[in-house]
Amino acid sequence: MRLALAIGTFLILVIHGIVFYNQFFHKWERNQIAYFDQAKAMAKTDAERAALADRKPRIEQIVVSNFGETRIDRCTTCHIAADDPRFGTYAEPLKSHPYSVALGDTQKDGKWERRHKFSEFGCTICHDGQGRGLDPKYAHGEDEYWPDPMLGYTVQENWRKDFAPKLKGKEYMEANCAQCHTDPNFKGTPMVAKGRQLFFTSNCYGCHRIQGLSDGTIGPDLTDVGHKWKLDYLWARIADPKSVLATSIMPKFNLDDASIKALVVFLKSRKGRNFSETELQRFKDKTSGAGVVQSVLQPVEIKPGEMVKQGEKLISDRACVACHKLGDKDGGIAPDISFTGLLRDNDWVYEHFRAPRSRVADSIMPAFRFTDDEFKAMTAYLAGLRTPPAMPTPEATYKALCLRCHGEKGDGHGPIAEHLDPYPRDLTKSGFMNSKTMERLVNSIRNGVAGTSMPPWGKILDEAKAKALLDYIQTTFVKEPRRELKPHPVPEQNPVAMSTESVNRGEALFVNRCAGCHGKKADGKGANSLDILPRPRNLRNGAFVNSVSDQRLFDSILYGVQGTAMPNWVDYGLSNNDVGDLVNFIRSINPKPKGGEHAGSN
Amino acid sequence: MSPKTSKPTLWSTLKDMPMNVWRSIFRNPLPSNDLERSSTSFTNFFLHIHPVKVHKHSLKPSYTLGLGLISFFLFVILVVTGILLMFYYVPSTTQAYDRMLDLRGSVAFGMFLRNMHRWSAHGMVAVVFMHMCRVFFTGSYKKPREFNWVLGVILFLLTLFMSFTGYLLPWDQLAFWAITVGTAIAGYAPIVGKDIQFLLMGGTSVGQEALLRFYVLHVAVLPAVLVLFIAFHFWRIRKDGGLSRPEDADRIPAMEMAEEGVKPEPKRTYGLQGLVRGPLHKVGNVPDNTVFSWPHLFRAELFVFVVTLAVILVIALLFNAPLEEPVNVMHPPNPAKAPWYFLGLQEMVSYSAFWGGIGVPGLFVVMLLAVPYLDRGTAGVGRWFAKERLLANTIFLTFVIVNVVFVIIGTFFRGPNWAFVTPW
Amino acid sequence: MAVNLKRSSGGQGSVKVSRRRMLGWLSGVGLVGSGVLSAISNFVFIKPRATYGQPQRFSIGKPEDYPSGTRMALDARRICVVREGNKLAAVSTTCTHLGCIVGISDTGYACPCHGSRFDQDGNVTGGPAPRPLPWYKVTLAPNGELEVDKDIEIQPGSYLTL
Repeated sequence: MRLALAIGTFLILVIHGIVFYNQFFHKWERNQIAYFDQAKAMAKTDAERAALADRKPRIEQIVVSNFGETRIDRCTTCHIAADDPRFGTYAEPLKSHPYSVALGDTQKDGKWERRHKFSEFGCTICHDGQGRGLDPKYAHGEDEYWPDPMLGYTVQENWRKDFAPKLKGKEYMEANCAQCHTDPNFKGTPMVAKGRQLFFTSNCYGCHRIQGLSDGTIGPDLTDVGHKWKLDYLWARIADPKSVLATSIMPKFNLDDASIKALVVFLKSRKGRNFSETELQRFKDKTSGAGVVQSVLQPVEIKPGEMVKQGEKLISDRACVACHKLGDKDGGIAPDISFTGLLRDNDWVYEHFRAPRSRVADSIMPAFRFTDDEFKAMTAYLAGLRTPPAMPTPEATYKALCLRCHGEKGDGHGPIAEHLDPYPRDLTKSGFMNSKTMERLVNSIRNGVAGTSMPPWGKILDEAKAKALLDYIQTTFVKEPRRELKPHPVPEQNPVAMSTESVNRGEALFVNRCAGCHGKKADGKGANSLDILPRPRNLRNGAFVNSVSDQRLFDSILYGVQGTAMPNWVDYGLSNNDVGDLVNFIRSINPKPKGGEHAGSN
Repeated sequence: MSPKTSKPTLWSTLKDMPMNVWRSIFRNPLPSNDLERSSTSFTNFFLHIHPVKVHKHSLKPSYTLGLGLISFFLFVILVVTGILLMFYYVPSTTQAYDRMLDLRGSVAFGMFLRNMHRWSAHGMVAVVFMHMCRVFFTGSYKKPREFNWVLGVILFLLTLFMSFTGYLLPWDQLAFWAITVGTAIAGYAPIVGKDIQFLLMGGTSVGQEALLRFYVLHVAVLPAVLVLFIAFHFWRIRKDGGLSRPEDADRIPAMEMAEEGVKPEPKRTYGLQGLVRGPLHKVGNVPDNTVFSWPHLFRAELFVFVVTLAVILVIALLFNAPLEEPVNVMHPPNPAKAPWYFLGLQEMVSYSAFWGGIGVPGLFVVMLLAVPYLDRGTAGVGRWFAKERLLANTIFLTFVIVNVVFVIIGTFFRGPNWAFVTPW
Repeated sequence: MAVNLKRSSGGQGSVKVSRRRMLGWLSGVGLVGSGVLSAISNFVFIKPRATYGQPQRFSIGKPEDYPSGTRMALDARRICVVREGNKLAAVSTTCTHLGCIVGISDTGYACPCHGSRFDQDGNVTGGPAPRPLPWYKVTLAPNGELEVDKDIEIQPGSYLTL
C-alpha cells in the first residue's frame, strides 16, 4: 500500500508536470519569436531595430466594436506579420495579408494603404473563424461544432468528402462582403449577384421566402439561412436535396458547379440582418409592407411573331423541367407537359400559370412571377406540343400516359404520386374499380377529373382505345372480372330545394357526421384523414364539386364509395332529405358554376 | 517539551521561535506511541472529525470500496476547480460561451480545470449513486443508521441538482437543450410542477434569467446546503457508532490475537465516547477489534484521495469537456437530450409524461426515504448481499438495473425524433 | 498489514523500516511537489494572459494625423500624443497619484481629482502625485501606422524620430 501510495503521488506529480509544461510552450510563441528574429534581420534603420528590441511573445488581439457586438480577434497572435508588407512572400503563418485593388487598397508613392484596416475591422468580420481561439484547429473553425469556419478555407472533418474540395476558394468570402456592401450590383461581389440571379431564374423564389426578396411558402424560409447553415450543408441541399433529408420534396436542379457555388455564396450572405441596415430601417420596411421585391429579373419583351420561340426559351431557362417532364428532361416531381396541347386548352394553361390553384385546387405548384405576356408566350409554346407518344399496345399506353402517377403496379404510387393532391387512384382496388360503371371510368379517362391532376385524355385516346386501356388495367391490376352492377335507387335531382335552412341543417349534419374525415372546413383534412388512403375528398375543390351531379353525390353518400373509407350512410340512418341538405351545404360552400347547371358526369 | 525553568533570554526565545510556532499549530510531534496517536487525531482540527480508533472492519476496502470517501474527495476537487473557474466565468448569455472559448484558448490551465470540473461532476453523480447502492446491499441503513440513510438520499438528490444546474453554464447547444428538456420534465410534477419550472427558469423559457438562477444555485446555494448536509452526514457516522459491520466483527479470533500480539486495551473509557451510542460502549470492557486512526485510517484516506485525484487528472488530460455550438434558440438538435443521469427519466417520459417524469421517480425517492423505517429486520447487517435480506436486495437491485438500463437506452439507443437506433 | 502498536525501534526489520521510510518520503515529495505546482498553476491561471479591455498595444493612426505642435489626448486609450517637429511621443494621462485622468492644461497636465500638476514632459510640479507621468513606447509599424505599447515604459523625453 505504501508502494501504491508512492506510485500514485508520483503519477499526480507527473501529470502536474505535463500540464504545467503544456501551458508554457505554445506554437504561437515560436511563431512570434521567428517573426522577431527575421524582422530584426531585415531592419534597416535603428528605429526599426529599436521597435523590435523590447518585444516579447504575448497574445495579440484586436478588439472590434464597430459591428454590433464586440468581437475579439486574436488571429494576429500567430499571423503576427499580417500587416507587415515585408513578409509578403513568406509562408503562412508569417505571411502578410495581400494588398489588392479589388479590396479597395490604394497605392501611394509605392506604398500600399489598406481600405479595410485590421485595427478597425479585425479579421473574422471577413474571414469568419473563431477569433478567440489560439489553437489553429479551433481558430480556423475546424472543430465541427463551430458554426462559422473560415469561409473558403476551412473544411470541417464531418463535411462530405465528395464536394469538400469545391468549398474552398476566396469567392466564398463575398458572402461576408455583402454584409456591408448590400447593393446587388456591387462589383466586388459578383458571385452574390450571380447567385441572386439564379435564385430567380431557377424559380427558387416560388417556394422559398427571403424577407425582402420573395414570399414562397412551400420550402423553408431562407431569410437567415447563411446564419444557420454552413457551406457544406448548403451545397448538399442544392446539389442533392434528398441526400440531406430523405423526405425533401425539393427538385434536383442539376446545376453546374459554378452555379451551385454562386447560389451557396448568395445563400451564405443571407443572414437575416446585415450591418448596413439600421434597426429603424428594418422596422420601417416591416410596417410599411415594402417587403417583397417583385422581381429582380428584367421581363422578356414578347414579340407577337416569336411567341412560341420565346415561350420555349423561357420554359427551358427557368427550370420548369426541374419538376416537370418535357421530352427527355424529367424533374420527377410534376406531371409530363410534353403534349400539353392535346390535353388542355390555352385558357386553362394560361389561367393555371397565373394561379395554379384556380385549376387544381390542392396543387403544390407556386404562382411564379412572370409577366402576362411571358405567360402567354409560354402558353403558346405549350399549346403547340401536340405530338402524342408512340403507343402501339394498351400496355404501352399505360406506360406512356398513366405510369407516372398511377405507378408501375397500378397501386397509385407512381414516381410523382406523393406530390399530387388528391393522390392518384389505386387501380388495384377491385372494390372501387368494379363498383363503377364502364361509362364512368371511360369518362374519367377521356374527360379527366376536374380540379385534379387527371387530365382529359380524349384527344389522344378515343373511346375504343380508352376501353382497351381499361381492359388492360382490369386484367393486369384489378385482376377480378367485372360483375353486373345494380343501380342504386337515388334521385336524379336533389329533392330538397336550396335554401338557407337546408344549408344550415346540412352544415350541422356535416359537422356531426363528416368532419372527422373531411374536416370541419370540408377541405378533406379532418383528424382521421392522415390514416386513410385514398385521402378524403376535398369538398372545397370547386372545379371538382361542380363537375359531379347531384345523383353521383347522393350515390356516394348513401351507398358509400367501395374501396375507400367512405361508408354507406344509408345504413347509419341518413334519409334522402338529410343527404339533400348535405348536398346543398356542399354546393353552398363552392362557387357557382358558370353555366348554372352542374356538368353532371355520372 | 518540558517547560524551561530558567527565564528565557531574548536569544533563546528567537532560537525556539520556529519550533514554538510549529508546535502551536501542530500540537503533537509525529506520533510514536498510543497516547500521541490518540492525541493527534483528537487535537488536530482537520482530523478531529475522525474517531481516535477505528474498527478494522471499516478499513476493509472490499467492504466500503471507499465510495463515500471518493464522493467526498470529488466534491473537494469540484469546490477547488469550481472556485477557480469562477474567476473567469460570467453568467451572461452574451458572454458565457465566449468565456468558455477563452478558457480553452487564452487562459492558462483553463481547459484543464474545466475538464477536471466536468469529469469530477459526472464522476460524483455516479459514485454517490454507487455509494448508495453499497449502503443498501450491505444493509447499512438499519438501526441506528436510519436517519443517516435519509441524509444520504438527500445528498444524492442535491448532487444531481448540483450537476444539473452546472450543466447549463457553458451556454452551448448541449447545455441549453438539456436544460430545456430537464426543466420540462420538472414541469410534469402535479400541482406545483409548472411553478417549479417557472421558478427555475425565471421566465417561460430558458434565457438570461435561467442562466443567472442556475449560476446562483450552482455556486452559492447548493454548495452551502451540500456542505451542511455532508457535515451532518459525517457527524452522524460518528454518533451512530462508525460504519456498520456484522455482529461478529467485534469478536477477535484467538489465533489472530496471538499471532499479531494484540494486547487487550487498557481498562479505561474515553470520556467523549461514553456518550456515543452503539457498540463502542464496550470500549475497555472486552477486547475489541479496533486500530488507531493514525496511521491506519488516515493513510487509507490519503490513498483513496491520491487514487481519486490521479484518475481525475488522467481523464482530464486525455478527454476534453464537450463544448458544442453556441446556443441557437431557434434550432434544437435532434434529439435534444437531458444530461445523461436524467436520460432514464427522459426515456420514461417518452412512454408516459406523468408516470415517467414524476410518478415513478417520485415513488422511487419516497421508497428510498422510507426504506429504513419499513425494513426493520436486524439480520444481515454489515455483509454484502446477505441471504437474510434477499427480498430487499432483489427489489433494490431490480430498481438499479432498470434505471441503469433506461439510462443506457436513453444515452446510446435514441436517435432523431427519439426513435430507437443502434449506436454502431 | 501488520498492526504495530509499539514504538518502532531500530534493530530487527530495519531494512523494512528504511524502505517504508523511503516510500513515505517519495509520497511526501510527490504530494508536496504537486501541491506546489498546483499552487503556482493557480496563480498563473488567475493572471489573465489576454486582457478583456482594450489591448495594451494598439495603433493610433498615421503620423500625418498629428501635425507638429499637436498635444492630443486620447481619453479612451488614456494617452496624450505629443508631436514637435518630427519628434513624437505618447505620454500617459493616468495620474500617478490615484489614477484619475489628467487634463491638458497650458503648462502641461492637471489632475481634476486632487490637484496634481505636471509640466509638459510629465514631471510633477505640484500636488500629491508621487511620480512623473510615464512615457510609453511609440513605434512606426511596417504598415506605416504608429503603434503605442503601454506595456513598455520609456525614459521621459525620448521621442520617436520620424
